[in-house]
Amino acid sequence: MKERLNSKAPRKLLFLFEILSLSLIFLFSWEGIQTETYAIAVGLVLLIYFSNYMLGRISKGDNYVFLIVCMLVSIGIIMIYRISPDLGLKQLMWLALGIAMFFAAYFAIRYISFWDRLTPLYLVVSYGLFALTLIMGTRTHGAINWISIGGVSVQPAEITKIVLVFLLAAFYGGDEKYRRIKNAEILLMLVIYSFIGLLFLQRDLGAALIFFGIFSGLQYIYTQDRRLIWANLGLAAIGGIAGYILFDHVKVRVTTWLDPWPYINDKGYQITQSLFAISEGGFFGTGLGRGNPAFIPLSYNDFIFSAISEEMGIFTGIGIIMLFMLLVYRGFKIALRQDNQFFRILALGISMVFGIQSFIIIGGVLKVIPLTGLTLPFVSYGGSSVVTSFIALGILQGTSEKRGKAGIGNG
Amino acid sequence: MDSERKRIITILVALCMGFVLLIGYLSYFQMFKAQAVRDNAYNKRLWINEDNILRGSIVDRGGEVLVYSESRDGETQRIYRYDNLYSHVIGYSLKDYGKSGLERRYNSYLVNANENTAINELINLINPSGVGNNLSLTLDHGLQKKTRELMNGKKGSAIAINPKTGEILSMVSLPDFRIETLSENWTSVSENPDSPLLNRGTQGLYTPGSIFKILTAVGVIQEGVPEAIYQCTGSTVIDGYTIRDFDESGHGPLNLEQAFAVSCNTYFADQAVALGHDNLLRIAETLLFNQKIGFDTETNASVFPRESIGLTDLGASGIGQGRVLTTPLNMLMVVSAVANDGYMSMPYLVETVQSPGGMTISSHRSESRKVLEIGESQALKRMMREVVESGTGTNAGINGVKVAGKTGTAENASGNNHAWFVGFAPLEDPKVAVIVLLEEEGASGGRAAAPIAREIIKFALNNITN
Repeated sequence: MKERLNSKAPRKLLFLFEILSLSLIFLFSWEGIQTETYAIAVGLVLLIYFSNYMLGRISKGDNYVFLIVCMLVSIGIIMIYRISPDLGLKQLMWLALGIAMFFAAYFAIRYISFWDRLTPLYLVVSYGLFALTLIMGTRTHGAINWISIGGVSVQPAEITKIVLVFLLAAFYGGDEKYRRIKNAEILLMLVIYSFIGLLFLQRDLGAALIFFGIFSGLQYIYTQDRRLIWANLGLAAIGGIAGYILFDHVKVRVTTWLDPWPYINDKGYQITQSLFAISEGGFFGTGLGRGNPAFIPLSYNDFIFSAISEEMGIFTGIGIIMLFMLLVYRGFKIALRQDNQFFRILALGISMVFGIQSFIIIGGVLKVIPLTGLTLPFVSYGGSSVVTSFIALGILQGTSEKRGKAGIGNG
Repeated sequence: MDSERKRIITILVALCMGFVLLIGYLSYFQMFKAQAVRDNAYNKRLWINEDNILRGSIVDRGGEVLVYSESRDGETQRIYRYDNLYSHVIGYSLKDYGKSGLERRYNSYLVNANENTAINELINLINPSGVGNNLSLTLDHGLQKKTRELMNGKKGSAIAINPKTGEILSMVSLPDFRIETLSENWTSVSENPDSPLLNRGTQGLYTPGSIFKILTAVGVIQEGVPEAIYQCTGSTVIDGYTIRDFDESGHGPLNLEQAFAVSCNTYFADQAVALGHDNLLRIAETLLFNQKIGFDTETNASVFPRESIGLTDLGASGIGQGRVLTTPLNMLMVVSAVANDGYMSMPYLVETVQSPGGMTISSHRSESRKVLEIGESQALKRMMREVVESGTGTNAGINGVKVAGKTGTAENASGNNHAWFVGFAPLEDPKVAVIVLLEEEGASGGRAAAPIAREIIKFALNNITN
């Protein structure tokens, strides 16, 4: 980098945004104001300010991605707090844990050098998590994708997603011995399809789409046998059509995507409530606290984008989309600057996770594509989502630093 | 650049395009679709606003208050001063059953949610008011009352319009319903086989019968054969099927003008066949068939068959039978264009929207399009005058005023004919155009509908000055 990016000015702007939106919350709930409101305000500002400051001292990598994410997180927490103060407070705790895990993941990438030699482990962990979900999973909102460990609900697919990126990076950019196996790439496709098939069985269509997206993107860049790209796309089309015919839950998504209005009271309820909220907001929104995001089911989770659009307007909605675009752009830039192929693919994969997931859920609540249940990374409420997203970000942060080509296999 | 870099950038571009697509769609949605979504009766937010805001009032062209809201013991109440007189125009606004009419279309104005522009929104954020905006209509309360009286006991619709501006002066559809008690009587009203909830004037689809001959006549004029002499024998055989005249003895030799005055079926059926389906379809679609008329309340599209039809059907279409269906509003617009020298001024009900403080927030932008050549409209004017002067429409005649019009008696599945009259006056400088439809009246248009139209025209010319 010729010119070091100065992250001080945006850090101050972020600070300003938080102060402003927090004062709006204070104004809105002046009468019923509680100590926890102060707690959330002070906690949020301090946490974000100091973690940015720390990162600036520790890492010589790209400190912008963390700043972008802090903006997303701030919008998210403020909205969640406005919908439900309890959840807002909880989300703040998840954020604290998430930032801790961010640093942990960052150091793990920085100081551990054998990530590219763990292919078998990635496979075992992935299948293990799937098995765990199938055995212990509980059904929420139609999908079996949660397991409960010691009273804490975890969504294993969130973790598998990251493991998948490691698996693909290790295959394409790591140890060559796996690529020398006969028909290695076809075997890899079968493994990935088995993941997607298992997600289909769990009715977790959103995750299935992300897995497919990450794989297809990386396959497009790195496969030696270009015919496989077409094979992959062809199989996806066949699989999509078969899924539509075989599974009612897929059919419902498509029907309510094409025209939800006749089903406004049952299966089209969610998407139409989302559209009501977005249309209510207009350009500037109704104002924080002056809309009715509680009308949207899961407004703090899958539909947080609609809730934000209602109260902060589509200008903020567009802002969020642009923040994700910037995040993906920075992620790809990190990848292009990274000389080590394994870490390059890791950076690409993580950026694609953020990009594809945010596209699928925002596109879903806008009715641009069929709706599949997913969280909006960093913005939606949820421990699993926040913590794993920050782990992924920590990995991206780690890959933004220079790595020697030596010591690690490169392809 | 090596191929890996290139491919990475391809994927990046693809992802960015995805995001740009989302931004584009979000903006498009907000600008063009949000309003309709917001007005959906299932949107719970409509009712939230309702509870906090005193709904605006609606006044007629003279300032007479037709409906307003007031606050009683902390609850807002909608007062319908003339209740069923405006049941289809103003419509209802019920928590359990949604909204209709102007209450629905202008809901966001009436609850002061203003138009969705950035500036208005900012103003609203800074200065929210607890009172909704008011609507000022083009309707004349006196004429509305008169029209309703004349139509009393009938089934059907009557509409009066200013053909030059498109202002709707009165609009009645019967049977109607009482808005104040609609909530309690919802089931009996909504399931009534006579469909009182339907605004027959804008949504009812009827066989037009002879009033459709106006469109066939346009075709004859365009072909340049209005003077050609036709021999009427009382019936004509088209493709093996006989179309008969009312009077089977035959009208003898006649040209377009004479055939129009006596409403000769055989003449117009044969002319329609000579014109062909394409020509007739083109004329009908120019005159708003097969499209929804943009209006302040819900409308349905009139129907002229698009796919090619058999010659018998084509002949029947030429006299407004067969598969042709029209809304009364549509045929009124056709005649209003004839009256206005070929220019159709699109119909509207709401002249201005005013803030509680009396400031005009939005006013109607008139839209006029040329649908007939001046030669065509002049010929039609003359012919329609002839109908009232000496043809089937003499019952619409007024002493000292030159009324022009066309009668229609439409056969339909019920066995009882629809009676139609559509016309305008005065001939030299049309100030009002009127359509009267009596559904399943079982009498001819000239006998049943024309006298009602006459009274509406007389009242309008005498009482509406501005």
